[in-house]
Amino acid sequence: MAQPESPTHPARNRGALLGVLKYTALALGAVIMIFPFLDMFLGALRTPAERLALPMVYWPHHPQWHNFVRVFTELPMLTWLANSILVTSLITAIQMVTSTMAGYALAKYRFFGSKALLSLVLGAQMFPFFLLIIPIFFLLRFVPLAGGNDLLGQGGSGLLNSYAAMILPFAVTWYGIFLMRQNFLGVPNEIIDAARMDGAGEFRIFATVVLPLVKPSLATLGIFVFLYHWNEVIWTMTVTRSAPDLQTIPVGIYLLRGAFIDQSTFSLQQASVFISILPVMILFLLLQRYYVRGLTAGAVKG
Amino acid sequence: MRAAVDHSRPGLLDWLSSKRVAPYLFVAPVLIFALSLFLGPLSFAAYISFTDWDGVADPKWVGLKNYTYLIGRDRFFWTSIWNTLYFAAGSVILGVPSALIVAALIAQSRFQSFWRTVYWLPMVTNIVAVAYIWWYILNDTNGLLNRTLDLFGLPGPNWLTSTSMSMFSVILVASWMSLGQNILVFLSGLSGIDETYYEAARLDGANPWQVFRHVTIPLLRPTILFVLITSLINALSSFVLMMILTEGGPARSTTVTGLYLYDMAFTDLRLGRASAAAYILFAIIFVISLIQLRLLRRGGVEAH
Repeated sequence: MAQPESPTHPARNRGALLGVLKYTALALGAVIMIFPFLDMFLGALRTPAERLALPMVYWPHHPQWHNFVRVFTELPMLTWLANSILVTSLITAIQMVTSTMAGYALAKYRFFGSKALLSLVLGAQMFPFFLLIIPIFFLLRFVPLAGGNDLLGQGGSGLLNSYAAMILPFAVTWYGIFLMRQNFLGVPNEIIDAARMDGAGEFRIFATVVLPLVKPSLATLGIFVFLYHWNEVIWTMTVTRSAPDLQTIPVGIYLLRGAFIDQSTFSLQQASVFISILPVMILFLLLQRYYVRGLTAGAVKG
Repeated sequence: MRAAVDHSRPGLLDWLSSKRVAPYLFVAPVLIFALSLFLGPLSFAAYISFTDWDGVADPKWVGLKNYTYLIGRDRFFWTSIWNTLYFAAGSVILGVPSALIVAALIAQSRFQSFWRTVYWLPMVTNIVAVAYIWWYILNDTNGLLNRTLDLFGLPGPNWLTSTSMSMFSVILVASWMSLGQNILVFLSGLSGIDETYYEAARLDGANPWQVFRHVTIPLLRPTILFVLITSLINALSSFVLMMILTEGGPARSTTVTGLYLYDMAFTDLRLGRASAAAYILFAIIFVISLIQLRLLRRGGVEAH
């Protein structure tokens, strides 16, 4: 970056001053971004006595590192972690499959209803999720022959309190379909036609010829979906409220809040919050590049 | 070549993977989903919004009663609408300009990827963690914020426990959380601006502020409008942060409509009325997005 500076001294001084101001502002902002995380980390290390002191001891003198162990021994953290990994991975895998298949069909075929389906994909993105929480909850409850229900869907809890309830409503992402369609539009028809001439069926063409060409965007979509659903709270909480064995990390921590009542459990809560952030933060730092590319590709053109 | 050999009897698999049938199989999962987990539920919600239903007994048809009750008689509903608009306006007014400024600063700095990463950290943090982190910071007596203010001899307000401050605090936290996302979009918009515009302005002797004001902002207008729209719509439909950070309180001061209808449905089991509230909120969001899209067109987005 060439900084165009004029040769006169007063102007150069002003340029230097502006540079200092710029980095000071950015650094100040960075402190506001990072400090809350640090505050939580220090909180996890405080002893109950340090919390009760007036004023509270801010910097822990006897860091309670074992609070991070207690998260695993005194809380069902391992169950939550397993649920988070299982549910988030399945949602990600399913969404990648449904998005690529539908996106490909909408990009490369003209079939009966394809225009209507594309309108649906675009229009459905306008509907906020709060509109679907109540009806999907009760539709899942009345699924026949599931969860103790009879043929008419009465008597039991249906699909609620099951992994299916946590995953099915997120089997499709409208945005993902659109994103993949835009990518498939860029695949030249000649490649597909050439494969047809060689006698390959449509599914083989899709899997072996076309899919490899959109791998980077698909990876971006996958990371995007994984991060989003790892952090999903409201739906998961709604369907697993009475099934602690199925709760994910954020939901588990949230619903346990009644258990965090005194100064020693506050530290435990802060430690568990820290643990809940760690996996995605590491994942994000490693895969940041792909995430950025995907967002910038879809954002402004939308 | 193979087709030439056994074209005599095409099997079922060949038929399924033919150009005529395959597209339907490609979209089949999405079609099933659209009917059973999107259009079906939306219609179901529309139907129960005209009924009295507790989720157990049969729904009782009541016509428009839920809508007229919410609009005409339920003052808590109007409180929640006011809170929703307050929150949305506040988080847009606070969040969008600050994201724009930070993005503009990052775009002209060294170590860009470092700054970006720092500002994006809250974006990948789950909302329960965000709420709890800030609950400890905003805590009245022991919280980091009031202790810091105390060092400067300033009296700290009751961030979360006074009705006058609570919504402001929620807006603060929400803006902190969404800052990274908006910075990201602004940065991609900024990278699309041709360097020659800046050079021309500098040759004309413009100072950095003038360049920002007269070159960056006009050229970034489509991006700014895009961020304004998405932020506003997101803010209008968000309620989980309030649910965790303040539980809608104190005295309903942070009960936004989404939270109000969620509790109405899953605590009070007034599913008909809650569905009606959901559709009213959706209508409000829909109208606001239409108005914004109009403005967006006038703002010259199709030129982008």
